[in-house]
Amino acid sequence: MIVAKQKPIAEIKEMLRPYQKVLILGCGTCVKTCFAGGEDEAATLGAALRLAFGQESKSIETEELTVERQCEDAFIQEAAQAVARNEAVLSLACGAGVQAMARRFAKSVLLPGVNTTFIGVLEKPGLFTEECSGCGDCDLDTFGGICPVTRCSKRLMNGPCGGSKNGKCEVSPDIDCAWQLIIDRLTALGLQGNLKRYIPAKDWRPSLAGGPRRLLREDHVI
Amino acid sequence: MTGTEGCDRYMSSKFEPKIHVFFCVNALDRGVFSTQDPEKAARIQSVKMPCSSMIKDIFMLKAFECGADGVMVVGCPAGRCKRVDGNIRAAKRVAWVQKLLDEIGLGGKRLVYTASSDTDAAITLLLKGLAELGPNPVKPAAQASPR
Ligand code: SF4
Ligand code: SF4
Repeated sequence: MIVAKQKPIAEIKEMLRPYQKVLILGCGTCVKTCFAGGEDEAATLGAALRLAFGQESKSIETEELTVERQCEDAFIQEAAQAVARNEAVLSLACGAGVQAMARRFAKSVLLPGVNTTFIGVLEKPGLFTEECSGCGDCDLDTFGGICPVTRCSKRLMNGPCGGSKNGKCEVSPDIDCAWQLIIDRLTALGLQGNLKRYIPAKDWRPSLAGGPRRLLREDHVI
Repeated sequence: MTGTEGCDRYMSSKFEPKIHVFFCVNALDRGVFSTQDPEKAARIQSVKMPCSSMIKDIFMLKAFECGADGVMVVGCPAGRCKRVDGNIRAAKRVAWVQKLLDEIGLGGKRLVYTASSDTDAAITLLLKGLAELGPNPVKPAAQASPR
């Protein structure tokens, strides 16, 4: 899932200052799961903004709506009427959702209400951790299902740096050493042989280094 | 509330805080919120919930939007929640909204969580915080009617 974090109220307030009527548009998928931009967060943010502006001379009218997914046109069409009756849209979706909205509603002001942070998992209730950097050339088979590109603080591809202590990364005791995890898991699976594979310098062309990426599935294009 | 009630309150020289209480029905005797002090009782509006964990951020903020000066959430004493950890969840949610209230300039001290064994002390603490902060600064015109 995409993990995001709501922007500070002060930053959102400054973005909204020029407008009187604002649609706060939640997204019911990833950002809902990480408590950044679902129905509840849209309602809470609406009230927080009304209370924040209510202390100044400025008043603001907010409307809150949440669609299933803001990164898909079929879902964002449901917001068309609400978009039309407001001066600006504060989208609580990830950056992809905000841009999908901007594409569909060419004449509307689209503002981001969250900072899109990473691709991650729900590790335990309330804790989300980064797992994948979307490098475009996945090597998880070699690494026993643990990604050194994302989870090793130095992105080392051919073994640990030597700074690991008690299974923790030298960068912070809060970070598990990815290479400790990789070695433990490959050992448990009897796949230590993988550790002998030399990984040449990573080719970053399939990643962001090659410009914006596209995925085309010819069989789904009519 | 109506806009007029809000205006009266702002014109009055003596600040008499309005307090909104959300309480767990299992936490209090006969499922009713009460206080020994009749003066405090007159200022309190209460809402019962099946469990304190049912409290949501929006309920607390909505109470402020409707003109409350202070909000209190009452859960069961530690270890006595019928739903195991509902009171812990409620206390954490209140702490989260206290930070939000600080962030929006309303002041986190307008909101308290308390176990049902200690409500009078909690109201006193809340009133002390409100005496420092003064009335809810949101202009009456911006205050919403309960929906
Ligand atoms: S190797 Fe690349 S694609 Fe695979 S998990 Fe790591 S960053 Fe993601
Ligand atoms: S301690 Fe482990 S995770 Fe940290 S940089 Fe070194 S190898 Fe990577």
